[in-house]
Amino acid sequence: MMSRVSSFLTRDWSILAVIVLVGFFSLSAISPAFLTEYNQYVMLRSFCVVLLAALAQMLTLAVGQINLSVGALGGLVAIVVGGLMEKFGFPVWTCVIVGLLVGASGGVINGLLTVKTGIDGFIITLATASAFTGINYGLTESIPFYKLPQGFVDFGTARVFAFPYLLIAPALTAILLAWFLARTVQGRWLLAVGGNSHAAELSGIPRNVVVVLAHTLSGLLSAIAAILAVAQLGSAQPSIGSNWLIISFAAPIIGGATLTGGHVSVAGTALAVVLIVLIQNGLVLAQVDPYYVEFLLGALILLAVGADRLRAAQTERSSV
Amino acid sequence: MLVHFTATPRRPDQVRSSDFLIEHSNVLGLVSIIAIFWIAFTYISPGFISSFNLFTLLRNLGIDVVIGFSTMVVLATGGMNLAIGSIGVCSVMFSGYLMQTLNVSPALALSAGVFLGAALGFANGLAIVRTGVSAFIVTLGTASLYMGAMLILTKAAVYDQLPVVISEFGRIRWGFISPLLLISLAVGASLIVLFRFSSLGREILATGANSRAAELSGIRIGNVIVFAHSLSGALASLAGLMLLCRLGSAAPSIGQDWLLPSFLAPVLGGTLLAGGYVSVVGTLLGGLLVATIRSGLLVLQIGNFWLQLFLGVILLLAVLLERYRSIYTERRRVGGQ
Repeated sequence: MMSRVSSFLTRDWSILAVIVLVGFFSLSAISPAFLTEYNQYVMLRSFCVVLLAALAQMLTLAVGQINLSVGALGGLVAIVVGGLMEKFGFPVWTCVIVGLLVGASGGVINGLLTVKTGIDGFIITLATASAFTGINYGLTESIPFYKLPQGFVDFGTARVFAFPYLLIAPALTAILLAWFLARTVQGRWLLAVGGNSHAAELSGIPRNVVVVLAHTLSGLLSAIAAILAVAQLGSAQPSIGSNWLIISFAAPIIGGATLTGGHVSVAGTALAVVLIVLIQNGLVLAQVDPYYVEFLLGALILLAVGADRLRAAQTERSSV
Repeated sequence: MLVHFTATPRRPDQVRSSDFLIEHSNVLGLVSIIAIFWIAFTYISPGFISSFNLFTLLRNLGIDVVIGFSTMVVLATGGMNLAIGSIGVCSVMFSGYLMQTLNVSPALALSAGVFLGAALGFANGLAIVRTGVSAFIVTLGTASLYMGAMLILTKAAVYDQLPVVISEFGRIRWGFISPLLLISLAVGASLIVLFRFSSLGREILATGANSRAAELSGIRIGNVIVFAHSLSGALASLAGLMLLCRLGSAAPSIGQDWLLPSFLAPVLGGTLLAGGYVSVVGTLLGGLLVATIRSGLLVLQIGNFWLQLFLGVILLLAVLLERYRSIYTERRRVGGQ
């Protein structure tokens, strides 16, 4: 029995899955409003942007890097997309493609600067985050773009039963990313470089290319998150992304990613986002201060890394 | 006076003059860049060196420098502290609560604020040392935790009925000198004493330079790290309380934009992220550069909107320059032997 429990405990996101299930059932038992179609729709809608921001961070964590510019780049993409729609009247697909390109280019800049200079990604992305935010506020003077095409705004609120159309993007992204990391050569390279960059290089993996790739994909995912956020809000706010920093780290880490790299979990990250959304929703239903979210988020991060330590110590002991 | 500290200082007689220039090129470079900006801003807009503008600039500098010191002392150990803004605002709100709701005297309330900051920093340090989790993650978590706890307890209320001495103190003006600037200079002087003349300071640097070697030579690195984080917490709350005096009220929004400035000043000043080396004078000058650019853009009416872009680019340039400088120094050293 003990061994079964401990083998269950060593699973990456098993505890998280149990917690999410318990949370889901207790919320449905406590609050009749919880299971209503509309409430489920609201939860799924807030799930979308957060998951993409978290996956953007997860990609840089995979190679052992940190990306402080996820939110800043997202904000820049949001106002570029909104600006192209309102000021220039470009068709939606053009704006979306330009937005994605801006996100990917931002990622390329982060990656190249990190690789070429050998300076810690923390400082590089702290600087580029400031630069992206500066361009964002310099261009908009913090005035949002409101006049967006009706079709685009409608997409942000459309739903089938409880499922928002918005959910398509994060669902597809998560599946593709899980496949990429598990089944493709480049995906394995990412994790190999994160696990042991020196060993990866010695076995012929182009380390620098892989790091740039991770940053580029990270930028691309922040761009998708930003475009969804614009559709969801119905306006391109310059402040989009400004509150992604902590949550983008919290979800992958609660989901079992290590800061040193080489180990990430798409399923774990998604479950962590579900947990965060459940907590937010539960607090709203219980009419508790929204401030508890911030507090609980911090507590969850510390609990997750604490549990991870405990698990590591346990595995070590059982293997001895 | 140029004061630099490394874990393995060279004796003055070992330093050749050309080496001196290279070793201190960071500080000299900063001084010349700042001088260029001052001349340019004054030339374009003479209002830049008006007594009032200088006063505002130097008062903001005082606060920014203490924020920078708060990060510098943990960078010295090779760690970091992302919770500086949260600790600052917790102290500010605590002091505000004591003064407005409990009618505690300002001196006592401010001291209690600094004490709270040190305690929160102590908790950070303890969590890092006991769990072995990286300082980045622990302080990311506690940043959110402290901020959330503060918001829950205060319900995000603003304390704006504080004793008048608080805002009067913040407005004191001797020419272009503010007492807030003098406080930061005093803190800087104490840090110079700590890192240069005390064994504790040397132990902090040794721990940052090579924690394993430090441990083997008998330094209790756990205690050293906890001390550095407590000091960082106390400095963060001091910065917050200085801002409280300047604003005259305790608002929960204080500290939310400290992340960038907290790293800007020390990193521009040449403090290494890897640990083992700090520069108090460099941090002061780094802060002065930031304050100069901020004030200059305001005087030129370019406004605050582009400021972030300038700061980001300057941070990038600074780390790039530092990178090539260290490569150059390394080559010279290898070539000379």
